[in-house]
Amino acid sequence: MRKLLAATLGVLSAVGGFVDIGDLVAASQAGARFGMAHAWVLLLGVMGICAYAEMAGRVAAVSGRAVFDLVRERLGPRVALLNLVASYLVTVLTLAAELGGVGLALQLASGLSYLLWVPVAAAAVWLVLWRMRFQLMERVFGLAGLALVGFAVALFWLPTDWAALGRSAAHGGAAGQGWGAYWFVAVALFASTVSPYEVFFFSSGGVEERWSAADLADARSSVLIGFPVGGFLALSLIATAAVVYHPGGPSPDSLAQVAQPAVLAFGAAGLAVATLAFFAVTFGAALETGLSAAYAAAQYFGWQWGKWVSPREAARFHSVLLVSVLLGMLVLLTTVNPVTLTEYMLVLSAVVLPLTYLPILIVANDRTYLGDRVNGPLANLLGVVFLLVIVVASVAAVPLAVVTGMGR
Amino acid sequence: MRMQLGRQLLDRQIVDRDGRLVGKVDDVEFGVDADGVPYVAALLTGQGALGQRIGGRIGRLLVAVADRFTEERAVTPLRIPYRLVERVDSAVRLRACLGDLPASPVEQWLRRHLIDRIPGADRAGG
Repeated sequence: MRKLLAATLGVLSAVGGFVDIGDLVAASQAGARFGMAHAWVLLLGVMGICAYAEMAGRVAAVSGRAVFDLVRERLGPRVALLNLVASYLVTVLTLAAELGGVGLALQLASGLSYLLWVPVAAAAVWLVLWRMRFQLMERVFGLAGLALVGFAVALFWLPTDWAALGRSAAHGGAAGQGWGAYWFVAVALFASTVSPYEVFFFSSGGVEERWSAADLADARSSVLIGFPVGGFLALSLIATAAVVYHPGGPSPDSLAQVAQPAVLAFGAAGLAVATLAFFAVTFGAALETGLSAAYAAAQYFGWQWGKWVSPREAARFHSVLLVSVLLGMLVLLTTVNPVTLTEYMLVLSAVVLPLTYLPILIVANDRTYLGDRVNGPLANLLGVVFLLVIVVASVAAVPLAVVTGMGR
Repeated sequence: MRMQLGRQLLDRQIVDRDGRLVGKVDDVEFGVDADGVPYVAALLTGQGALGQRIGGRIGRLLVAVADRFTEERAVTPLRIPYRLVERVDSAVRLRACLGDLPASPVEQWLRRHLIDRIPGADRAGG
């Protein structure tokens, strides 16, 4: 019974950990502008991240090493350093966007400007990272993030034309906004679904929780159930935005507009649930991105990392963690709009995607680490196909952003 | 024992007897035995050793950053005699424990000047 409970909690925290500020922004903008036409992107992204998170979890469980711990051994110190610098910068930028999301959620709840909340949020994130137990942290924010289910429920209260939703999912297209914008939004939504830090965090988290080969089944089920359910929540964000804003409505450029479908369906209670969900998913993702940035640095240099030792035994790790949270806060205090920041962050994430995913595929095929638990033909087929998609998205991201002027 | 240094030893994680992370194998030091045959005498670990191995501008930058965060004028790499190595699998496992090895100067500097000054630094989050 306790094992079942633990497994369920694992699944639930994967659900909550899947959605973050990138999904909130990209999914509702996609829904508002193109209806359900991007549903396939989400489906593709979820399949890809399932395949890769399963590999990363398997590497962590069998070898006891986080995937990025192994990158340097396989790519050499120079290339891996380049990888580290790029991944670190994007992760810190993501952290900044998540902190902005926390600030915006608190602004929704209190009416005070998000800029006042950002330092508070940064301090709270750091404090949780400094003190809270890893599993507790994962579960609290994962479970609270499930409040996003409110958006799926809202679909039944809104005057949803299910047939029209289905039609736009199957035959939707540029909806008069231009194919450039369509593909730009597709790349952004894809990047938000397969954010590099998610696998980063997932594999290091496996090591933090001391997975062994015996935990493989649990790790698999939390990926293969949790991520699709998370994808379903993101899909309901697209759908509600499509019902409320598409066609002809504005493209949501604030969290208040993202919350609007829940408000229309349930009034003040809807706003409360949406605000709680936004707070939980962005705060949870801020924790994950902060940790991921520090994991990346510590794992490249071989420093002691992790929350299973005291901070003084992992002084370099905790120093990087502290500096990363401060950097994220400073980015926001330039008064850059958090939603705009999220849009740019998604483009940069798309560019660096191959740096995260290629090494996983290489390591998951390495018998030195995995023995006979290396990838089977199916995992490799999925892995390679998905890697091709990633490379295309990565190459296309900047040209699309420039040509369409960030998808306008 | 035969071993491909580049593939199996360099850049691998060094782990102590209790599973604590010591560092990466940033470089190796060779010795020459009585018959003139070279052997791996020690593992070198630390940002300084890595910087010197990478070389160029980036390598110098790594060394300079490490030097900034130490008490001594120049940071010297941690030298782990190869006889302390128990076995090499997905990591290099030592028979010694972290406390018996000289501590990393950068880790000590940050511990003393930053982390230990924050309340709760000696409590593990778990």
